Amino acid sequence: MASTSRRDALALPEVQCPNHPDALLVEDHRAGDVICPECGLVVGDRVIDVGAEWRTFTKEIATKDPSRVGDAQNPLLNGGDLTTTISKGTGAASFDEFGTSKYQNRRTMSSSDRAMLNASREITTMADRLNLPGNIIDRTNHLFKHVYEQKRLKGWSNDAIASACLYIACRQEGVPRTFKEICAVSRISKKEIGRCFKLILNALETSVDLITTGDFMSRFCSNLGLPKQVQMAATFIARKAVELDLVSGRSPISVAAAAIYMASQASAEKKTEKEIGDIAGVADVTIRQSYRLIYPRAADLFPPDFRFDTHKLPQM
Amino acid sequence: MDSSNDEALDIIITNVVATFRTRCHLNLRTIALEGINVIYKPEVGKVLMKLRKPKITASIWSSGKIICTGATSEDDAKLGARRLARCLQKLGFRVRFSDFKVVNVLAVCSMPFAVHLVDFTNNNRPIASYEPELHPAATYRIKTLKATVQVFSTGSITVTGPNVQAVATAVEHIYPLLFEVQKPKHRKD
Repeated sequence: MASTSRRDALALPEVQCPNHPDALLVEDHRAGDVICPECGLVVGDRVIDVGAEWRTFTKEIATKDPSRVGDAQNPLLNGGDLTTTISKGTGAASFDEFGTSKYQNRRTMSSSDRAMLNASREITTMADRLNLPGNIIDRTNHLFKHVYEQKRLKGWSNDAIASACLYIACRQEGVPRTFKEICAVSRISKKEIGRCFKLILNALETSVDLITTGDFMSRFCSNLGLPKQVQMAATFIARKAVELDLVSGRSPISVAAAAIYMASQASAEKKTEKEIGDIAGVADVTIRQSYRLIYPRAADLFPPDFRFDTHKLPQM
Repeated sequence: MDSSNDEALDIIITNVVATFRTRCHLNLRTIALEGINVIYKPEVGKVLMKLRKPKITASIWSSGKIICTGATSEDDAKLGARRLARCLQKLGFRVRFSDFKVVNVLAVCSMPFAVHLVDFTNNNRPIASYEPELHPAATYRIKTLKATVQVFSTGSITVTGPNVQAVATAVEHIYPLLFEVQKPKHRKD
């Protein structure tokens, strides 16, 4: 690893060729030498290579690992990987008489590092299941690190904190996921994630924007396979319904689901309450309830340029 | 917008929780066998005794600590606690009524207008919290009073605090905040 000395790391060692004091010395990066071009004398050696890091490209376990600097530093771990561990032996001498390896107890890393690594792994798995991009994963990891360092949520299981951090990260990036969606990819119950969520917001003294119906439209509609027209209509209906305050007190998810139901029933692609309920994580009776609230004003809710497939909306 | 509007607003106290000590060890088995209107919970280690008047449920622990819930006013809670102590005295324990403290008061109140929760939360950002997925009400915690107000979109609120005075002050405190985010009245047709 390149050493970062106080002085400029790129400064060549101050040497001169004894025979040619004013000759400009040539640096040979491959060998790490500083050579005088006039006479070929090697003036300085063991020059630190500040060029690009060498990487291992071969997959098989080579006996000689050409990379001498190791992996990139993980900024989330404490200590910056500057610890010494004893790796598994390679030769025959590393096994004692019974066949077990000598030095079998690798130096365990600090518990906070281990917790961070486990959480990182959990977060990556969960985000993978949800198809979340790298920026959300990074944000989640940073949130987890902050929360973990704070130690205010020490009693809660790390998985719960990781799930709650994932929820917060999605919210902060402007693409909220419902609690039920996070529950689907995590082993933690919605109640626990909710509690951790509130505690983390307290501990980090941040707040998140409120969810709106429009945040979920594109995801739910694509999962249901509804065309763009229907999705736009549903978004319009939901927004109008909230503006006209027909659904006061209902969760935005339920309103969005009811709006999707209304839009899809008015178009060619009719979806049942059960299908929408499955995708949105809402009970079909809840969709029915919200639908009953918006049905009376259906005429006002549809966008002006919407082409109806049938003019008869189901009434329940 | 006058602040002394609680004459017009009915604050109804629904629950008062109080604790007190009997300063003597209580044998729960004796209470369970000989007391009237008792439920013994050995897995937790307490006895529930219900009083008819005032309507109070008390959790009695063997250490002598008793938690009294269900009263409708602070005086009622004290009266019920004393009656309970007398009950235990009659069962033969050397009861000394001490350390009576009202721990929690829960009250409900109804605003004459509906409230726009989204605006309310946005105006009072860190203190108010609204998660429609988790709970349909917005929670507003008043740190100075140690009181919590839950605001529903219909305009009803529930207030919990350490005593009745704090609850009343909390309602006074929150009334102007709710007034500015009220939904205009219109007939739903």
